[in-house]
Amino acid sequence: MALLQASKAFMLLGRCVPSVKQNASKIQVKRLVLDENLHMYFGEFEYYYAHDPGKICKTGDVVLIQQLPEKVTRLITHQVLEVVYPLGDVTDPITGKKVVVGKYRDEIEEANKLFGESAGRFMYDKAPKRGWQEDKKDFTNRETYIKYHVFENDDQPYAV
Amino acid sequence: MAYNYFLLVRNGQILFRTFSVFRMYSNSSKCGVTCKGLHRLSLQPQFHQIFRNYAFKSDLKIKWVRPPKIPCIKPEKSGDLALLPAVDKNQYPLEFQKSEELKTADKLVRRVFSLEFFPRQHSMKILRIEMINSVKRHALDGGSSESKIAQMTADIRNFQQLMEEFPRDKRCKVQLKELIDRRKKWLKFLRKWDYKRFEWLLEKLDLVYKPAPSEFHWITRKDSLRKLTDKHCAEVRQQRLDAYRASLEGQQVDFLREKAKKLQWIRNEEQECGVEPTVSEADIENVLKQLKELQLSREQTLKDEVKLSVL
Repeated sequence: MALLQASKAFMLLGRCVPSVKQNASKIQVKRLVLDENLHMYFGEFEYYYAHDPGKICKTGDVVLIQQLPEKVTRLITHQVLEVVYPLGDVTDPITGKKVVVGKYRDEIEEANKLFGESAGRFMYDKAPKRGWQEDKKDFTNRETYIKYHVFENDDQPYAV
Repeated sequence: MAYNYFLLVRNGQILFRTFSVFRMYSNSSKCGVTCKGLHRLSLQPQFHQIFRNYAFKSDLKIKWVRPPKIPCIKPEKSGDLALLPAVDKNQYPLEFQKSEELKTADKLVRRVFSLEFFPRQHSMKILRIEMINSVKRHALDGGSSESKIAQMTADIRNFQQLMEEFPRDKRCKVQLKELIDRRKKWLKFLRKWDYKRFEWLLEKLDLVYKPAPSEFHWITRKDSLRKLTDKHCAEVRQQRLDAYRASLEGQQVDFLREKAKKLQWIRNEEQECGVEPTVSEADIENVLKQLKELQLSREQTLKDEVKLSVL
């Protein structure tokens, strides 16, 4: 019984991948599997559908998922608990400051001030939340495919 | 001649089994009883459902249109939504913009020194600088990812214009393709590093970013027809499900009315016979309430539809 409960409370850390589900997110979880012949671990991917009615996780985010006591549908077995690492919004764990590649954002701003800020530059405080270009100019929220047919009333935004 | 047939026999016990049926004439004496029986079965229209895998040709009227090939250097493939803006030809090239002598020079000299009389590359340099200026961080910024991408975008749009004029210029084509790929790589990096800046840059430079599909495959007639058939089947399934739902919903009102009536009748009968009634008043009221709500919601949807049609 204890084992059963432990498995129910089992949480997984995975990466959100594009999917067409409305109220769920597809989560890719990497596991290291031992190859006994080579005595080496190789990464293998498992995919879970996690219940996410508010769509809190977006493609590329690292999220924590928890197994549900019972399945919501045939596919949806987990629920999204929280977004641990959002994509493209890195925080330094030691200082708690925001980081872009190798520099703190504050440092970048300071350098801008020293050299003379330009008017058209990007400003973090005025930037809208991630997702405002979704389906307009940024098509990473769905899997793209190679165009195979010309549909009359469909311009196929996800076709490459 | 032997054929592999999948036979579907509804009344019999055979469902989807493979038979090796020898093609015989019905009056052939060599054919056994079972074979004759099967042959007779297959002649009847309701049993004549034969599924054949080999050389199967669908009789669905699906017409496949092969998508036209778009070269990778075209703006619709490279993701450029805007063209390069036109340059004001009355201004001086970059080198002479701060010249003191030109300010006091003769009118004709000034005209000769305008972009009108300079090669194309001088105008392009100005456009490039303008594009970088629109996104750069500070006055001396040339190495940040956004200014790099802006620089590449200006060059790409310039090359695309050139390719329209000189489509056989191979050197230009190669440079253009490499630039497009490099810009895509930088956009990919920027997306991972700083998502907000990535989205802002797409908006600012009028670019579209589509990730590469997970795996490459050639477009073939067979594969495309398979996909189209699957799509068609899904549509048919959905249509039938919708129709079935509509038919069930059409029966709902009558059913509830009938239910209320019957419950009332059961209650009356039981009371007349002096038995404890198994149906309470609340049950009947519940059904009537359901009926009322259903009718109200139906009227509301009808009204909404009328409104929409008027609009």
